[in-house]
Amino acid sequence: MVLEATMICIDNSEWMRNGDYAPNRFQAQADAVNIICGAKTQSNPENTVGVLTMAGKGVRVLVTPTSDLGKILACMHGLEIGGEMNLAAGIQVAQLALKHRQNKKQQQRIIVFAGSPIKHDKKMLEMIGRKLKKNSVALDIVDFGEEDDGKPEKLEALLSAVNNNDTSHIVHVPAGPNALSDVLINTPIFTRDGEGGSGFAAAAAAAAAGGVSGFDFGVDPNLDPELALALRVSMEEERARQEAAAKKAAEEAAKEKGGEQQPASQDTTMTEGPSASASEAENKKDDLMDDENALLQRALAMSMDDTTSSHDVRDTDMSEAAADDPDLQLALQLSVQDSAKEGNDVSKLLADQSFVSSILATLPGVDPNDPSVKDLLASMQNQSEQKKDEDKGPDGDEKK
Amino acid sequence: MACMHDHSCEDHDCSSNWSLYKHIDLSKVSALNEAVPGSVKSVFKAWEQRLNSSEGHLESNDGDPELLVFIPFTSDVKIKSISVVGGADGTSPSKLRVFINREGIDFSDAQSMQAVQEWDLVENLNGALEYQTRYSKFQSVGNITLHFPDNFGGDTTQIHYIGFKGEATQLKRDVVATIVYELMPNPSDHKTKAESGGGLSHIE
Repeated sequence: MVLEATMICIDNSEWMRNGDYAPNRFQAQADAVNIICGAKTQSNPENTVGVLTMAGKGVRVLVTPTSDLGKILACMHGLEIGGEMNLAAGIQVAQLALKHRQNKKQQQRIIVFAGSPIKHDKKMLEMIGRKLKKNSVALDIVDFGEEDDGKPEKLEALLSAVNNNDTSHIVHVPAGPNALSDVLINTPIFTRDGEGGSGFAAAAAAAAAGGVSGFDFGVDPNLDPELALALRVSMEEERARQEAAAKKAAEEAAKEKGGEQQPASQDTTMTEGPSASASEAENKKDDLMDDENALLQRALAMSMDDTTSSHDVRDTDMSEAAADDPDLQLALQLSVQDSAKEGNDVSKLLADQSFVSSILATLPGVDPNDPSVKDLLASMQNQSEQKKDEDKGPDGDEKK
Repeated sequence: MACMHDHSCEDHDCSSNWSLYKHIDLSKVSALNEAVPGSVKSVFKAWEQRLNSSEGHLESNDGDPELLVFIPFTSDVKIKSISVVGGADGTSPSKLRVFINREGIDFSDAQSMQAVQEWDLVENLNGALEYQTRYSKFQSVGNITLHFPDNFGGDTTQIHYIGFKGEATQLKRDVVATIVYELMPNPSDHKTKAESGGGLSHIE
């Protein structure tokens, strides 16, 4: 919530006709300016923003620093493209406009859009930068458009002359599919403002990108703060519970490392035979004390979208193999058990197998030792949450 | 705690004279062209501490000896004299110009405006020198701006202590503090005693 007076320097030179930013450079610049003005005025109601153009007949101040967003947006209409940009004069006029701001308590900031080649030399830019620093004016530079040979170096030199304690920033935006304003939203030019600015910027980004908000839970905190808060709190609770359970399981796994070594050797020797897998499932089930806790972990893991990514990758691999070769698939599954020696994953897999086998045993007309049932068991275990529906179709048919 | 004055210090206590630092509104003190933002606050301390710069000092940016210090007071003061302790090796300021009761002065204003008073300073490393003011002009000072345009040849200008001698009046310069302006009357702003149940006329 920094109290700030900002002057935005727009480049409306001939180079802005180019269409490498959609729809053309000038429009992209205008959109970015609109978003910046909105963010500034929203983060602190007493902030003021002014706009000037650097090209055309000469440097012209369109609107002096004001907090009236409507006036600023109105003056962006009917701007003409032409002439050559005069960066030095633009910055100096901006500094003068800020000097005569009404509220002397505001911090001074200049935002420059540098789209055309810069004809000043480095020394002059550094001198300007030092003068800005001396009068404690911060400077944000948006380097886009023409990629001249010396342009980035000149702008970096200007930035280092102005920069005082990281209050000034520079952003290089190459031409590409992303809009200029979208790229800027993720930069310190916006996010430095803290919660207010970034909230507005994030909402604008959501509107612009058509729903891909990039929030944690797909809910805009601005639109529905209670829902976002509830989701965040429940996520943290689950995480805490999972950590506690993982800690407990890790302790048990360490305790029963002796007991687990034997089933591990059984894993490597017995690569086939569904009965073998059933028997070692029984062994491990006996070894594991808190079956219930492991079940709970598995339920939590299923409810959360991001289980360990490696787990998912192996899942997809194995679900493809399931159609081909049940033995190969079993071997893969056992190797997963080997590598995923953390108490968490192991207990999850085991609990899955034992739980499902116990349920199948109670179903009438189903023999747990039937090989097709074993296939179904193993394949179900591997899919976790995602491909359950797809595979159950063919497996169910196979079973019948 | 030698006073370094050529009078004997038993009759008065030197440190109490330089007590105007207590009336400085430290949170609103600001400086232009300081190398470390916020370092200006360390130069206002008690007279005894004037040579103690363990908490930092005010230094200008490299290659630029100009400094501008804005000091608001919590109440109007009368300033009799000013003392400035600079740094060694030519980093002491050589000139001082002051402006009174003007806010938001920057370097271009300071260079063009006529100062209320100007002094040529000498290198004053132990803080024994004070610069007298034309007292009639410094009778009700709400804030003061010190402009140090130059130094004795050093790369930067360092200031370790700034002291003010004088008296504080109790008059506050600043004006409307808490006045509520109403466009339309709002009854909740005007609770009477009877409504809040404080009076004796409370009838069950």
